[in-house]
Amino acid sequence: MTGGYMLFVFSYSLLEGSYNNLIDIFTLDNTGHIQIHKDDYLDRPKIYKTIQNRAQVEGAMHAVDDVISFTPRVFSPALAYAGSKTAPSQVIGVDPELEPTVSRLKEKVSEGTYFDNAPDADGYFKAMIGKGVAINLDLEIGQEIVLISQGADGSIANDIFVVSAIIGNRTSFDRMAVYLPLTSAQEFLSLGADVHEYAMLVEDKHENEKVASVLQGEIPDLTVAPWQVVEATFYRTMQSDKQGNYFTMGLIVFIVFVGVLNTVLMSVLERTREFGVLRSIGSRPLVLIKMILLEILMLTIISVTIGVALVMPIVYWFTEVGLLLPEPIDMGGVTFQHMKGDFAAYIFFYPMVFMLATALLISIPPGIRAAHILPRDALGAH
Amino acid sequence: MTTVIETRDLYRYFGSDETEIVALDHVSVDIQEGEFTAIIGPSGSGKTTLLHLIGGLDEPDGGSVKLSGTNIAEMNGNELSDFRRDHIGFIFQAYNLIPVLSAEENIEYIMLLQGISPAERKKRVQEMLALVGLEGLGERRPAHLSGGQQQRVAVARAMASKPDIILADEPTANLDSKTGISLLEVMRELNQTRNMTFIFSTHDEKIMERATRLIHLRDGKVEQDERK
Ligand SMILES: Nc1ncnc2c1ncn2[C@@H]1O[C@H](COP(=O)(O)OP(=O)(O)OP(=O)(O)O)[C@@H](O)[C@H]1O
Ligand SMILES: [Mg+2]
Repeated sequence: MTGGYMLFVFSYSLLEGSYNNLIDIFTLDNTGHIQIHKDDYLDRPKIYKTIQNRAQVEGAMHAVDDVISFTPRVFSPALAYAGSKTAPSQVIGVDPELEPTVSRLKEKVSEGTYFDNAPDADGYFKAMIGKGVAINLDLEIGQEIVLISQGADGSIANDIFVVSAIIGNRTSFDRMAVYLPLTSAQEFLSLGADVHEYAMLVEDKHENEKVASVLQGEIPDLTVAPWQVVEATFYRTMQSDKQGNYFTMGLIVFIVFVGVLNTVLMSVLERTREFGVLRSIGSRPLVLIKMILLEILMLTIISVTIGVALVMPIVYWFTEVGLLLPEPIDMGGVTFQHMKGDFAAYIFFYPMVFMLATALLISIPPGIRAAHILPRDALGAH
Repeated sequence: MTTVIETRDLYRYFGSDETEIVALDHVSVDIQEGEFTAIIGPSGSGKTTLLHLIGGLDEPDGGSVKLSGTNIAEMNGNELSDFRRDHIGFIFQAYNLIPVLSAEENIEYIMLLQGISPAERKKRVQEMLALVGLEGLGERRPAHLSGGQQQRVAVARAMASKPDIILADEPTANLDSKTGISLLEVMRELNQTRNMTFIFSTHDEKIMERATRLIHLRDGKVEQDERK
C-alpha cells in the first residue's frame, strides 16, 4: 500500500508539475498571469487603442492584494534597417525597471547588457533586438539600428537606436522583436504617456482567473484577461493534452486500487480463523466488523504515513531540480527541457483520501462476510 | 436436576449427494447441570461435529439444540453471540488462541466483551492463571508457550467469563499424559466447586475414567450412554 501511495503521488505530482512548469515558462516568459488592454486590442491590435487612465489602472492593481507585480508595454510593427539590409520587426516598449518583475526578459539577454532609460554618449537610446533581427540585419552590440513605423497620430515615425543587447535565440518567439525602453518607445510612436498593455503576476497562479474578474470590476472600461484568454490557442492545446494524460492517471489509479484491494482482502482473509475464534467466544458480528474496519484504517494510515515520508523527498527533488529530458518537448510553441514535479499539499492529500476511502469501502464486504461466517467453517477441520 | 443441553434428532452431513458423509445421525442427548461428560468414539465418529452444534458454531441439517430451554435456531446472530459470551466456554483441540495477544489478553478479551470493569478483569485474569498453574507467564504470547501451557491458557480463557457450560474438544490430545491428567483435574475441580457443566471429547482411556458420564459415538450415532 505504501508503494501504491507513492506511485500515485509521484505520477500525480509529475502530471501537475509538468503543466505548472509549462504554464510558468509560458506566462513568465512573456504574458504574465493577467493582462489589461483597451477594448479588443488583443484580437485587433491598433496603435490608437491605448490605456490612458494609467494612474487609475495602476491604483486598481495596487489595491488588489493578490497582484504582486505589473509592468506596462507598448507595441507596434516597424521596419528595421541597418546598412543596406531591412527586416520587418515588432517594436515592444517595456519599462526597464518593472519588466523584470513580471517577465524573464532580463534573463534572456544572450549577448550585451540589459538596457536602461538613459541615452548613450551620442544621444541615442538603447534597443535590445531579437536574435532573428540580429541575423537578418547582421547587427552586433553597439551598432546602430534604424526603425520606421507609424505614430499614433498618423505621422511617420523614424529614429536611430543603438543595440545594447541581443535577446534569446533564433527559435525564441520574440526573435523578430526590438525592445525599446518604454519612454523612448512612447516618444517614437507619439503615444505620449499611454500604453497598450499591462501584464502582471499574481500570488497564486491557479487563482488568476478569479483575480482577473475582481480587477475587471474595478476598471470596467478596459479589458482584463487571464493568460488562458490571452493565449487561447496554447491553453486549448494544453487542455487537450491534459485530457490524454488523465487517462494515464486513471490507469495508475486503477493499479493502486487493485493494490489496495489485494492488501485488504489478504489481511481479512488470512485471519479468518482468528475471526472464527472471536466469534466462538462471543464477539458480536458488528463488533468484528468495526474491528476489521478499524484495523484496515490503521493499516492504511500507517502505510500512507510511511509513503508520505518516503515520497516527499523524491517529489521535492523533482519539483526543485527536475529530470533533464534528452529531447526538449515542444508544446503549443513552448519548449521545455526539464520534467518537473509539483510539490503542494493537495498532491499528497488527494491520493491519501483516495487510499483511505477505497481501503475502507473495499473492506466492508469481506468484513461483513468474515463477521458472519459460521465459526465452524472459519476454524477449519478442528 | 435441570437439563441445560437438549439435542433432538441432530442430523448433519457433509459433501454432496453422491459422496455424502453423515457426520451425525439423529443424535438426541440430554445433559444435566453439573455433569462431567466425556464424548468418546473412534476418529470420524462425529465428536467434534456434536460439540460444534451444541455450541452454535455450526448449523445442523436437521434436528434441534436447546440450551437452557431455548432453541438456538431461533436466536439471531447477536443473541447467539451473547449467549456464547455469557454461558458457554470453548476449549478447542487446536487451542485457537489469538496469536497477537498475550496469554493475559487472550483471557481478558472475553471479559472485555462482557463489559466487566478493568479492575475486576485484572483480578480474574490472575485468578485464572493461578488456577491453571500459569502464574508469571501471563505476558507471554502463545508462540512462546508450550502446547500444554497454551491449552491451559485456553482453559483459563474458557472459564474467565464464568460460563455455565464448558465444551472441550479433545482438550488433552496434544498434551503428555501427566499434563493431560492434571488439566483434567483442574476441570473436575471447577466442575465440583462451581457446578460448571463440562462436555469434553477424548480418545484417552485415563481421561475417560474420570468422567461421570460416557457417551459413545460411532458413525454419527449414539452407541452407548453410561452414567457412573
Ligand atoms: N468440512 C467437512 N467436510 C466433509 N466432511 C467432514 C467435514 N467435517 C467433518 N467431516 C466428516 O464428518 C465426520 C465426523 O467428523 P468429526 O470431526 O465430527 O469426527 P471426530 O469424531 O471429531 O473425529 P476425530 O476424533 O478425528 O476428531 C467425519 O467422517 C469427517 O470426515
Ligand atoms: Mg474431532
